[in-house]
Amino acid sequence: MGSKAASVTILAVALAISAPALGQDEGAPPEDAAADTPNDENAEVAAETPEDDESASMPEENTGEEEAPEEEPAPYTAVVVGRRPLARDQSADATDVDGETLRSSARASTLEAVAQEAPDLYVSGRGLGVHGVASGASGAMAVRGLSGSPNSQILVVEDGVPDYQGIFGHPLPDAYVPELIDEVRLIKGGDSVLYGTNALGGVLLIRSKVLRDDGIELTNDSSYGSFQTVRERLSLLVKRGDWDLSSAFSALRTDGHRDGTGGSNMVGHVGVGWTPTSGLRIVLRDRVAHLEGEDPGPVTHPNDGHWYDVWRNTTSLGLEYRQGPRFSLDAISFVNLGVHRLYDGFYSEDYLFGGRVAAYIRAHETLRLTLGLGAEGVTGEVEDRAAGEVTDVEGSATLYFFNQLEWRPLSWLRLIGGTRELWSSEHDFIFLYKAGLRLLLPGGLTVRLRVARNYREPTIRERYLPFPTANPDLRPEFSLNVDLGLVLFVGPVEVSVSGYRTWADDLIKYFGAWPSAEVVNIDHVEVFGIEAHLRVVDLGPVRLFLGGSWQDVGRYTRQNPAAKVNGSIEVGHRFGRHAISGSLSGEWVRGLFQENYSRDPIADVFFLDLALRYSYRLDAGVSFEPYLLLRNLTNNRYEYIRDYPMPGINALLGLRISYDPPPRRPDDGSGTN
Amino acid sequence: MYGGVSARPLVRRGALIATALAVIQCLGCDELYPEVIVINEIDDEVLVKDISYSGCLWDEVLAFGEASSPGRCLSGEDRVHFARLDAASYCREQVEDGTIPELCFCDPDDAPEADPLDTGLINETPQWFNYQTVTSYEAGAGDRLVVRLTLDDMEQDFSVPGPYGH
Repeated sequence: MGSKAASVTILAVALAISAPALGQDEGAPPEDAAADTPNDENAEVAAETPEDDESASMPEENTGEEEAPEEEPAPYTAVVVGRRPLARDQSADATDVDGETLRSSARASTLEAVAQEAPDLYVSGRGLGVHGVASGASGAMAVRGLSGSPNSQILVVEDGVPDYQGIFGHPLPDAYVPELIDEVRLIKGGDSVLYGTNALGGVLLIRSKVLRDDGIELTNDSSYGSFQTVRERLSLLVKRGDWDLSSAFSALRTDGHRDGTGGSNMVGHVGVGWTPTSGLRIVLRDRVAHLEGEDPGPVTHPNDGHWYDVWRNTTSLGLEYRQGPRFSLDAISFVNLGVHRLYDGFYSEDYLFGGRVAAYIRAHETLRLTLGLGAEGVTGEVEDRAAGEVTDVEGSATLYFFNQLEWRPLSWLRLIGGTRELWSSEHDFIFLYKAGLRLLLPGGLTVRLRVARNYREPTIRERYLPFPTANPDLRPEFSLNVDLGLVLFVGPVEVSVSGYRTWADDLIKYFGAWPSAEVVNIDHVEVFGIEAHLRVVDLGPVRLFLGGSWQDVGRYTRQNPAAKVNGSIEVGHRFGRHAISGSLSGEWVRGLFQENYSRDPIADVFFLDLALRYSYRLDAGVSFEPYLLLRNLTNNRYEYIRDYPMPGINALLGLRISYDPPPRRPDDGSGTN
Repeated sequence: MYGGVSARPLVRRGALIATALAVIQCLGCDELYPEVIVINEIDDEVLVKDISYSGCLWDEVLAFGEASSPGRCLSGEDRVHFARLDAASYCREQVEDGTIPELCFCDPDDAPEADPLDTGLINETPQWFNYQTVTSYEAGAGDRLVVRLTLDDMEQDFSVPGPYGH
């Protein structure tokens, strides 16, 4: 199928899928493939109750007005509001990170902040939060030995929309800013049944904040630091009656710690939700990102003027509908487009578009069924404006159906299985599957087991673009992931251990260097490893996290470390209007190589970051929070990418001002719902 | 307690001032980078360009005896990398190839035989070759390093990355 034909087909299917749902007066609700149960493993028991799940997904149904007692008004109204779950597969190994943790992290970028909480997620860096694109870029994610070239084997799904570039097939790490993030869930071991292509090694689900009660929340976070780094984050959330607004603007500009490492990232995000009737919500979102910077080159041979200039925009229209506790539906259509310009004349326009409808059915008290149908397509144009040459590329399209069944035959046992059947314009029919179980044992012990077959389609770049070479005959990559995990909760202590093994076939690898490079499918790869962590929460004023991972990735060692340890200790105290907190966090990475076959070893990475915060809250709901971030406290010289050293000790001094008035009591006449 | 006055406020103030000084120090930590100057002392016929050292790249062409502008480079150890051109050799080749008709050999015996040249082999583009110092220099925060490029302390640099990216 030609690219235009494929594009038209997909667009038509996407619209056709979305249109009926939009036409219905009883639409659909939650995001993406979200689950019926809370994400927090602690909340598992609560999730078993019939009232759990989707009722929490419609904000307007969880307002204080409905829950507050009429007589004997209490000074505070406690409302338990379940959160819309991020993922539906409870047998998957996952790490959840809430948005506030990301916002207050000392790490320089959102993905690095997630990696700080997940020892089995490795994210490379090269500076003060500007990862960049093309040669010399960082921000590559690797989960369980899978990453891609660079990030195409890890899928990012933001508010239900798969986020990757149409041509290069990977997400842009600089486009994720924490200001509007409600929660992030990292699914280890991938899940192509629910999420499709690129979910080979992992899936990063991002959910944006939405106000659930009438009100306004305004936050401004400005900071200035070493190397003329300026960071500005502004967010505004409003809910008034049937309408809600979630918006954020984030800008980061730095000179960088050496020539060429400077740059700027600007990201704007706006979402408008409308709830015309109970159970139905329509959401329009748009995110635009403008990234500018350079590839500084290796420290021994710096580049001069290797700049990039990237514009990206993602628009989605979603519809969420819930009909009682037994049925819900969501539909979403999206377009993700980007324009990339590089110093050498490279110019590209790329498009990712599609649509999906998913129904969540509780067929019986013990059976939950997820059914989905959708389509997705990628295409683009590439030219060398310096030479005046245009490279012919051919887009691709997929149509798919997926299903997942969760059966709870016993109160302590969940069995989960699912399949995805898809047709690809390039690779015909593909069948994917998964199966898992989850046991809730006495004493707070949870056991998980899951097997999942995942896949990734070759990107347009790998098939057509000579960067440094292409191969139009590439086959899709497949992986079979098996993992077994134990989680134990004892009071404030959580202990988790997971072991995994991945068999991957037809992985796409580049060999050699330009002009004699080649890109081919390789035969078979096995990766195995183990991850464990200890988390202590609410132990007086102290919170503690220590986690580590070890893996054997075989021959393909490029940017896949053998071991990684993350730790943090946080101490906080609130007294009246005042609160102070401090955290010390660090990362240690071992067995890091710049190339495959254990070539070009990179010295162990180790650093410590310190964050100090003080906050003061006024009655009017205004709070001031000055803070200081000291990164690389011990001034170590380390690098993730060979000859791209990270900055020495550096500081960021900021002030966060929030306006978040406390909700007025329901009996004061202020409620509008 | 000292003389009936608590010493705590003084300690607190001292800690605050120390923290503030540490922060100010960090905010301006780029000023602590070592200052590096490179001088071309290779040969009076050799030009040097694309000089780099530990993250610094000088956009200058240095003739013999010339020094680069001071660069603030990362702390650490590195060799000085550069591209060199033997200007006299280049000029001689161009005269041999007859691409500069205004010039001729001072000593007619040096002139090549008057064989017809294969013009396809003539290359008028100056060939800059990548070199690096044999010595690796270390510079720390606040240091001032002057590196003199000499004929005895240079070797070809095969570590230059390829032209390829994206």
